[in-house]
Amino acid sequence: MQRNRIGAYLFSFPSFFLTMALGVYPVFWALRYMFYEYQGYGTPKFIGLENFARVARDTEFWQSVANTFVYAGGKLIITLPLSLILAVILNRKLRGRHAFRAIFFLPTIFSASVMSIVFYIVFNSYNGIINQYLIKLNIVSGPVDWLGAAHAMLTIIIIAVWGAVGNYMLLFIAGLQGIPEDVYEAASLDGVNPAQRLWYITIPMLGPVLQMIIMLAITTSLKGYESIMVLTEGGPFGKTEVMYLYLYKLFFPLTTTGTSVQNIGYGSAVGFTTAIIVGLVTWLYFWMSKKLNNVY
Amino acid sequence: MTIRKLLVRTPVWILLIITAGLMLFPIVIALLGSFKTNLELTTGATVFPIKWQFQNYVEAWNKADFSGFTFNSVYVAVFTTIGTLLVAAMAAYAVDRVAFRGKKLFIFLQSFTLFISIGAVVLKPQFNLMVAIGLQKSLWGVIIILISAHATAFFMIIGFFRGIPKDLDEAALIDGCNFYSTFWRIILPLLRPALAVVALFTFRNAWNEYILPLVFSLSRPDLQTLPVGLANLRYGAGAAVENQLMLAGACISILPMLIVYIFANRSFMQVTAGSVKG
Repeated sequence: MQRNRIGAYLFSFPSFFLTMALGVYPVFWALRYMFYEYQGYGTPKFIGLENFARVARDTEFWQSVANTFVYAGGKLIITLPLSLILAVILNRKLRGRHAFRAIFFLPTIFSASVMSIVFYIVFNSYNGIINQYLIKLNIVSGPVDWLGAAHAMLTIIIIAVWGAVGNYMLLFIAGLQGIPEDVYEAASLDGVNPAQRLWYITIPMLGPVLQMIIMLAITTSLKGYESIMVLTEGGPFGKTEVMYLYLYKLFFPLTTTGTSVQNIGYGSAVGFTTAIIVGLVTWLYFWMSKKLNNVY
Repeated sequence: MTIRKLLVRTPVWILLIITAGLMLFPIVIALLGSFKTNLELTTGATVFPIKWQFQNYVEAWNKADFSGFTFNSVYVAVFTTIGTLLVAAMAAYAVDRVAFRGKKLFIFLQSFTLFISIGAVVLKPQFNLMVAIGLQKSLWGVIIILISAHATAFFMIIGFFRGIPKDLDEAALIDGCNFYSTFWRIILPLLRPALAVVALFTFRNAWNEYILPLVFSLSRPDLQTLPVGLANLRYGAGAAVENQLMLAGACISILPMLIVYIFANRSFMQVTAGSVKG
């Protein structure tokens, strides 16, 4: 047994070392620099809470936080009901259900950034494919500015929904398989219609699984910025700037828009703030869903 | 079929078919568009190419250097997958089969990396560490950082360990195996189907990774992977944007995944469905 213990340390060491060096250390690195004035060169200067005072005053950052909520909210309001309905349909013995599952899940296997390039060609305001078809079919008279200030957020949300529905559908199907068949049999004897069945049986029976899936959906949608970065870089006029993209730009200024300069100390403080915001939203969701559970 | 059944089924099928159409739309656009000329793509409003332009792929491969991007993508994805499987499976074996001091801390650290997210902030110290060991100008910097994010793979493999009875280890011990040879000769072969699923998941993530290789190739364009090289075309300086090359490049990235998916889509889905239960 003694030999095994040495073996266990040896076997878990690569994992432990990599996790400490590249997973844990960077967090503490950021916890230090958020108290410093540091632009990436020269000596860092300790400035206490000055960075956080600046976060509080940074209207551009808070605008990106507001945008994040619009983006995440829009994505969830479409994705969750749609994927739940698809899951309920495809959980039953329907002809072709495996083919449909495979088609709906397909978008999730591709790179978000690569698909954003495809979507750029599809939605391009000036000569995009959607506009070509819409004009050819006489649905609109002139091109719609899909990536312009008025529609960019909507377009971004549509793309996010496209990439997410299949994933949540599958998670819901996994949850639905935990609901015993005889509950539905009893309900059908009582003459329950499909809408009632969904609202009064399926959703309550999903219970904790539903809660977990919604939480996962909230945190992932608050953190997403890759496809926005490729598609709009946060523009036009910061309309699609989300908080994690704003954070990225503080560390790695985008060369094409060139609106920001590298700012490590301030960036660390912003990173800490965004993590707190995500944590608060998650906690708030937990608190609310617990309250709702008590009502039932 | 009764009228009532028909009333329920028709909207269900309409919903399924419309959603399927919307899901497939951009993929079909990318596949068909990659064979059109730039002019047809930007003004044609056609569905099928007037004339199939196979040379788009030749041009993307040679002129736009997608051969280099593909090599880098394959390199990163293959070594990240091998490394992640090895590191995660070894740790899972130790944690599942041996009671050792610090085990709880170890599991806590793994979940810590899953739940704490400060976004792009971590990229800077990670990059600095790679500079310190001289790997900032190599794809190995990207690979090592990707391997370090193996917590999901670790928890997935731990889940599969429950299916392998501990009696088997003891039998192997009696037959003269030790801790190490039990792992290589008994556990790993038994884990093979599970590892294949985790490998698929890891390979897909590494293949699709955008931000990390982007940061590493900022000063080294020769390190660009497919997603990075492609996205750079979007803001390409100089000449007019060549949409047909962008779509051909996108297809070079999505086709390998699509082909594997057609044969193994159940395995892809198993990973997702399993991750919520675990």
